[in-house]
Amino acid sequence: MKYLVLILCFFSINYMISQDMLLEAESFDDKGGWVVDPQFIEQMGSSYLLAHGMGEPVKNAKTEVNFKKDGEYKVWVRTKNWVPGEWKAPGRFQIKVNGLVLENTLGLRSGWGWEYAGAVQITNKKNTLELVDLTGFNGRCDAIYFTTSDVEPPSSMKKLATWRKTVVMEPVAPKVTKKYDLVVVGGGIAGCAAAIAAAEEGLQVALIHDRPVLGGNASSEIRVHTLGIYGNFERILKKLDTEHYPNGSPEAHKDQIKRDNSVKSYENISLFLNWRAYDAKAVENKINYVDARQTATGERIRFEAPLFVDSTGDGWIGFWAGAEFSYGRESVDKYGEEWKEHGELWSPKQPDNAVMGSSVLWRSYEAEQVAQFPEVPWAMPVARDYAKVKGEWQWEFSRNDLHQIDDAEEIRDHMLRAIYGSFANAKKQPENANRKLEWVSYLVGKRESRRLVGDYIFTLNDAKTGRTFTDGVVEETREVDVHYQTVLEDEKNPDFISEALFYKTPKYYIPYRSLYSKNINNLFMAGRNFSTSHVGLGGPRVMRTTGQMGAAVGFAASLCKKYDVSPRDIYTGYLNEYMDLIEKQKYTPIPDSKK
Amino acid sequence: MKILIVIILICGLSLMPTQKMIRNYNIDGQKRALTKKPEYYAMEWQDGIALYNKPTSYFIEVETMGNQNVDMLVTDLQRPVLYTADICTPVCADGECRLMYLTLYWNLLGSYVGYDKVEGQSLTKHDHVEFVDQDYEKLHQLLLDDNSILKRRKIDELVSKPKESDIDGADAIAGATITEVKESVVDGALYSCYVAWNIAHGPIKEELQEYTAALFDNELKRYMLMSNEQDYQMYALNSLSESEFLEYKDRIAQIFGESIPLVRTYIVQNLPKLFWQTEDLQIPFWESFAEVDINTRSLLLNHIHEAPVNVLVSLGRNLELMTKNQLKLYLEAIEKNVSTSPEINAQLLRFAESGNHTYGYIVTEFLEDLE
Repeated sequence: MKYLVLILCFFSINYMISQDMLLEAESFDDKGGWVVDPQFIEQMGSSYLLAHGMGEPVKNAKTEVNFKKDGEYKVWVRTKNWVPGEWKAPGRFQIKVNGLVLENTLGLRSGWGWEYAGAVQITNKKNTLELVDLTGFNGRCDAIYFTTSDVEPPSSMKKLATWRKTVVMEPVAPKVTKKYDLVVVGGGIAGCAAAIAAAEEGLQVALIHDRPVLGGNASSEIRVHTLGIYGNFERILKKLDTEHYPNGSPEAHKDQIKRDNSVKSYENISLFLNWRAYDAKAVENKINYVDARQTATGERIRFEAPLFVDSTGDGWIGFWAGAEFSYGRESVDKYGEEWKEHGELWSPKQPDNAVMGSSVLWRSYEAEQVAQFPEVPWAMPVARDYAKVKGEWQWEFSRNDLHQIDDAEEIRDHMLRAIYGSFANAKKQPENANRKLEWVSYLVGKRESRRLVGDYIFTLNDAKTGRTFTDGVVEETREVDVHYQTVLEDEKNPDFISEALFYKTPKYYIPYRSLYSKNINNLFMAGRNFSTSHVGLGGPRVMRTTGQMGAAVGFAASLCKKYDVSPRDIYTGYLNEYMDLIEKQKYTPIPDSKK
Repeated sequence: MKILIVIILICGLSLMPTQKMIRNYNIDGQKRALTKKPEYYAMEWQDGIALYNKPTSYFIEVETMGNQNVDMLVTDLQRPVLYTADICTPVCADGECRLMYLTLYWNLLGSYVGYDKVEGQSLTKHDHVEFVDQDYEKLHQLLLDDNSILKRRKIDELVSKPKESDIDGADAIAGATITEVKESVVDGALYSCYVAWNIAHGPIKEELQEYTAALFDNELKRYMLMSNEQDYQMYALNSLSESEFLEYKDRIAQIFGESIPLVRTYIVQNLPKLFWQTEDLQIPFWESFAEVDINTRSLLLNHIHEAPVNVLVSLGRNLELMTKNQLKLYLEAIEKNVSTSPEINAQLLRFAESGNHTYGYIVTEFLEDLE
């Protein structure tokens, strides 16, 4: 556990010396039933602990805290009421110090900020601290601050960041630096495939992923099955993909074990699970390093490499490094992507910021006995009278005032309200008396966010015409499938349900030039953040296809290393060798003993 | 499952000439007219109207039955209203075929809008049980769904048995498709549904749209714009020049208030610049702020910097309708007006101090930052 005791004179007005300590909730020794949620660090400032109990209070999170000085401490907790309104806050919790519950219930304030929990008399060096969940409905605790001063810590994001740095006294740069041939950020199917392909060609690879398990949307935490074809990379992708089980199925666990073991079997892949990148520095259009932080302990590492892969899905590495990117829908005329039959739903006359939405999958089961589910008045404005017992891919949310990255927490929370509300409605039906929630994801399964711009922008027309490329490294036969929210057609529809439009295509190809950045010279991208138009993304956003992208850049990286060149040079100067290497992947390698 | 199309059909030879004969004239020689609302019909129907068949050059090719002509239905003033075709088609499953009779209707954009049963010819299921009322209604609903699962699947994909999961049995049927098919088709009549859907949504759809496009004149434009059919509104809006936007400004503002989100968002995104430069032209759209959907409100708020002060004041009465990001946009836009407009200031205070609003804290922080 990491904590800091500081004797600081923060507040010059008071001229008081205060004894202060900031404890990050995610660093608790025993998290009990609370889970670490690192999805929204860029927006709200930190990983936090989430009481995701699907309506049943979770086990207390516990930790030991050492104080240097006895005295009365005021206890502040950074939290928020995730559905403020005319009802009891859904995510209420309390703080217990040395077995005594502090006076104020928490999780009541609107917007992230500090709530006063109460005062506590500290008389021993060693103390125990517990988070007591009261509802099981996603209470959240970011940090706990003990102070002898009377001043409330700042809530506004701007002031908070500076305050946190002062309190923690963290140096700007991580103390530890590690060097690799290739740094892959994001361990979804694309990132895993990139790491494996590069490792097979002998590169020393770092794979940084912010969750405990690999696979991203295909992982057992999100549970979307992989679709698409294997293309040239069947051997590698079979180590990573899933069966065609229904989305949300616990069968995802079987494939999870296969995937994690596959990646871990490569000695030259250094796997950083539960590490989330938070910065990338480019000088003269070349990334020098990526900084990452352990999502629970806060430990930091600087990753240096001549080449990087952005497979974060949200294009974070490119964004931090200053790579050109796009977001939203192009006008129908920009790339000529009209589909008359579906008009504006498919591609609008004027460009806009609409994108395909994010899903949160869930399911329930028939228990042997009658199961109760609490009233959830805070969920009903979203769910209205919709009643369901499970949620598939159609449970998807996007709205034009919400950005899939900047507002991801609100999007996730909207889906949680949709789920709990719809389930509560279903529970009122006699046939669902025994229904019990089995699993609700708390991770947002995104379909579309930033798309980094490469030397080539893949569009619908490439798919429609089956255009071939000399550098066509990814191939696909799956229809181009673009989603829209059904509420656009009828306001009576729930706003969290989508519909898919399928455009049938011949076999199509994605060129290598869509897989490296146009303006950041050592950055590859693989996954949904590759270089494509909004409609173009409709087909190849599925995970065998994104896996192909990953493998393609992994092999390209090996040639970059061999000739000490940049990704673009592979296209301009080493294409034949590269395409031969890709072609070779179709065949099972002959074992050394039989050569 | 394999489908067999039986080539020889008992009634085929006798039916086709009869149909052709009655195409535009009834048996007694009267001009053929549709005088009552089709039994299953999704559009508005004007009571007392008579629609007369007018031949087109289009037809639907039905396997083993030949071409079946498509007529336009026009008013007595020759204004086009619908397209229609009498369909007789074989439906075959497991080597057994029957004939299905339907009179289909499409709107002027080639979208299926309804059907009539053909007198004396009930629809039947595979086990020869006749359709009941709910089955006819379900068929209609299926045909109305232009994005039905039937569109993307071959018939044998719809009936193939899914592999059951080892883990939790029936709930885990591979893919969701089979459940989806069951929900959308008439039980026991998958083949009839499949055949009817593919006729209604076949190549004829695009052909009819092209036919209408060729006839599209100012009168038809006006008719579509005045219509309550959203796809007509959209089609007409899409054809408007800047001067026509002005000419129809009242109707466009009315549609904006009453139509579906998709049409509204199209309007706000495509209004000519002049509307945002002219107070009187933009105000009707702002006046609908409280009635329109969230997406449309966001698009309106993109124009807040072009809005006159009285719009900012009236939006201040609707702060509780705004989402977090909409509220932020609004606050950013009124920052300069807070001190000069007592009414805006009062609205902000009212909102921040009520304690009932989800995003009250944002206004509170905004007011604090101003101090």
